[in-house]
Amino acid sequence: MLASLLLLLLPPALPVAQEPIERDPTGRAVIYRFDTVETLDGAALQNVSVLVRDGVIERMGPAVVIPANAEIHDYRGTGKMAMPPFVLTHADFLIGDRRGNGGNGRFLAVDSMWLPENWSQDLLEEGVLLVGVDPPGSGLPGRSSVLLADGQVGVPNPLVADLHLKVMVPTGSSGKRLVRDGLKAADEAIEKEAKAKADWEKARADWEAAQKKKAEEAEAAKKADPAKKVGTNGDKAAAGENGEQKGDAKGKDQGEEEPPKEFVAPKLDPNIEPLVDWVRKERVAQIWLDSASDWLHWQDLLGERELPYELVLRHGSGQNFHEVVEQIAATGFRVDVIADISFLPYTRTRANLPAELVAAGVKQLVLSPTSENLSGVRSYRMAVALVVAEGLDRAIALRAMTLEPAASLGQEERITALAVGAPATFVVWSGDPLDPMSEALLVLSEGEVLYDRVKAEKEEQR
Amino acid sequence: MNCAMRVLCLAAAVWALQIPLTAASYALQDPPPTPDPLPVVEEPPQPEDADITVTEEVAEAAAETVEAEDPNAVDPNSPYLAIYGADIHTVTDGVIRRGVVLCKNDRILKVGTKVRIPKGARRIDAQGMQIYPGLVGVDSSGIVHGGGISIRDDFDPFALNVDLGLAGGLTLVQSGDGIAKLTRGTLDGVLAGQTGWVSLGYSSNSPSGRRKLREDLRIVRDHLRDLRGWENDKALGEKVAEAPAAKGINPQYLALLQGNAVARFNANSLKDLLAICDFLEEYPMQSIIFGGQEAWACAGRLGRVGAQMVITPRAKGWADQTLNAPSGWTIENAKILWEHGVPFSILPEQRWISTGGLAGRDMLTLPMEAAFAIRGGLPQEAALRAVTLDAAKILGLEDRVGSIEAGKDADLIICDGDLFHYRTFVQWSVVNGKVVYDKQTAPYFAHIRPRQANSLEEVLEEIERALDVEEVTDERIEESVAPAIDEPEASAGTQ
Repeated sequence: MLASLLLLLLPPALPVAQEPIERDPTGRAVIYRFDTVETLDGAALQNVSVLVRDGVIERMGPAVVIPANAEIHDYRGTGKMAMPPFVLTHADFLIGDRRGNGGNGRFLAVDSMWLPENWSQDLLEEGVLLVGVDPPGSGLPGRSSVLLADGQVGVPNPLVADLHLKVMVPTGSSGKRLVRDGLKAADEAIEKEAKAKADWEKARADWEAAQKKKAEEAEAAKKADPAKKVGTNGDKAAAGENGEQKGDAKGKDQGEEEPPKEFVAPKLDPNIEPLVDWVRKERVAQIWLDSASDWLHWQDLLGERELPYELVLRHGSGQNFHEVVEQIAATGFRVDVIADISFLPYTRTRANLPAELVAAGVKQLVLSPTSENLSGVRSYRMAVALVVAEGLDRAIALRAMTLEPAASLGQEERITALAVGAPATFVVWSGDPLDPMSEALLVLSEGEVLYDRVKAEKEEQR
Repeated sequence: MNCAMRVLCLAAAVWALQIPLTAASYALQDPPPTPDPLPVVEEPPQPEDADITVTEEVAEAAAETVEAEDPNAVDPNSPYLAIYGADIHTVTDGVIRRGVVLCKNDRILKVGTKVRIPKGARRIDAQGMQIYPGLVGVDSSGIVHGGGISIRDDFDPFALNVDLGLAGGLTLVQSGDGIAKLTRGTLDGVLAGQTGWVSLGYSSNSPSGRRKLREDLRIVRDHLRDLRGWENDKALGEKVAEAPAAKGINPQYLALLQGNAVARFNANSLKDLLAICDFLEEYPMQSIIFGGQEAWACAGRLGRVGAQMVITPRAKGWADQTLNAPSGWTIENAKILWEHGVPFSILPEQRWISTGGLAGRDMLTLPMEAAFAIRGGLPQEAALRAVTLDAAKILGLEDRVGSIEAGKDADLIICDGDLFHYRTFVQWSVVNGKVVYDKQTAPYFAHIRPRQANSLEEVLEEIERALDVEEVTDERIEESVAPAIDEPEASAGTQ
């Protein structure tokens, strides 16, 4: 009986690309039953049971056999639904200090942070599990970090400390000069290293050639006078009575021809280092733009270079990105934009920039709150709802709040579409998450309940 | 909606819109002449004419791809832009009535009444309108930012002030020591040059400053004299010592006296202007004087020292009754300078651009300032020169901009009336051969006397817009509203 039950529990087929997950099949199973699950991979599923064991969704579907010892949370008939958690790419209200305009590539966002006590609770309440934070300041202020909202306080322990290089290109000669000089310095550093390496390789080749020549000479000498011992000269051979001495002598013999040491790249200025990585395409930069004009200046800076980057569009008073949406879409890079209905410049004509970007062909869209503070996070869903109401596809919008920002933060394996074999990381909403009246009830990260609204409210009452 | 209903709707819409199919009529102008058909391919090709050869090649190339298509089809990426049907105010060669300006890339290729328009060329039907060279704003502020070559790094090609500048007819502005084209939407070609002016303070308020300047210049002049003597000696083969050292010489002053730089003065009073004339007689150099309120009282001397002026015809200053000399402003200032051969440009009271501020007295309405000089007796052609070619000359760019001539930059404005009339609006601005402003689509002045459709295509577009239908075909229009279009009253009714 037990065996047949276990057999039934085995997933019929794991997804092809999925590595088999080692877990204890007798581990505690938790069943969540919903009217709707927004898997974010195709259409929403109706009347679904989700079996979670060992932090992984073991089974999901309308007919899941419930293990005998399973804990059951049945939300059917209540309008509650599950969806992957929200991810904020620029939760910069967590940054504690300020810096001005500068080429400070050495800084990490996490260096500028001190987490207050309630920060993760505040985020989890809004269904946000992961956040990216940017270094403060403008110009080339440093590199971003990634945090998991898991209740840590004080000095943060980031998931990723060193992620994207932040680059701000405001229209104006000083900001542009900063980035231009930074790229130039990176080019020079790369050139310097290449030259040092070439010199080292040449020295090495010369040494090898000299050794070869010497060996040939020795060979020739041996042939000419077979009686003589192998060695460079009689004295050395005579001195080489014991092995150690011999070794030393060999080293000494090569004295001036000592092999060049292992190549060590010239030390880089720590401010330039991330730029060097970027120029070598080993790092992605996030380019922050305020207006269409910034885009043109960024293109002007980039010239013929091909560098990996994502765009972060934060329109100020100009609100004129519509002038360049086609050009932006043509790059094929990820675009992070505020979920906001703006006005065409100097008019009251409403413009839906996220929808325009998608219409122009942007495939990877990230939607960010309208303001970088906690009230921005609290009105995030409403802002997105408005953008969806005015034309942005709902499925694209939901992905742009969850999977896309997670991918931007390099956490696409942690926050994925809900499927069998995927980590059990999801939020239980009291209704449609885009309805401002809905609330996040539960936040699960790999099966672990990080936030439970009922418990939290009880504790608050106490 | 069924077909019959649609036809009815279209007919009703045409009746309601009463769109005239003749040339748009503007109250300022003479009644518009009956429009000519598009002046395409009238002239037989002339093999000795290089331009024609070029156009033929393009036409042939185009013909291969779009054979048997509408000869008037427009390729939005065509390097050619043809503006036809308007009066062309060339500045250097009078007015060409109902001519064609053909631009290729960023230059003017041909100007005249019989110009072949290459196939696929972008076109502006400007019948009944006036074409002028783009206006040149000397000493503007706030339209472009930064100075010198940093203008390129500071330029916001989508800024409100750039749009407003274009709406006001400006296509080139100088700000600080940088000169920028208003290349809306692109950074390419924005930096047109640098002034390299040397500002000289020569005010009666600072006699010591004047003395110091003259002393410094005397040293430079002496040095130049020594240098010339040394060069002469050397040329004559005499034994010479080392060249005289340029120690303690201000390089800017050296450039001024060598004729490689231009001095910039600010002076309004007759006293200061006369002092500058004395100074320029002593130290001849290229010069620009900003202000010049009382210049009318010494125009002859200003002309003789070769000064160029930048004046504000509406800047008022009352006469000083205690002086036993002419003083104060006059509406005739510009006219008197013109009569004495003093080249000048015009600057409004405020040098920035704004939809607020002092209405009609900033860079948005530069021609209004010039119109005031016309009111004071300045010939209209001279006023046009003052805001185009003479201003370009002051900036040292007269070989590129300021007039409509083949080979010059394709910077033009197309106005719906006389440039200096208060009702006139710029309808289109063209910079470097690109249409960068269209009154009808830009959000600023579209609602004021909207341009009326004057081609069948535009009529169709307007009907489509009004009805919000997907497409209106020619056939449907012909069958439904053809009689209405032919009705002369239909067009006369809206005038």
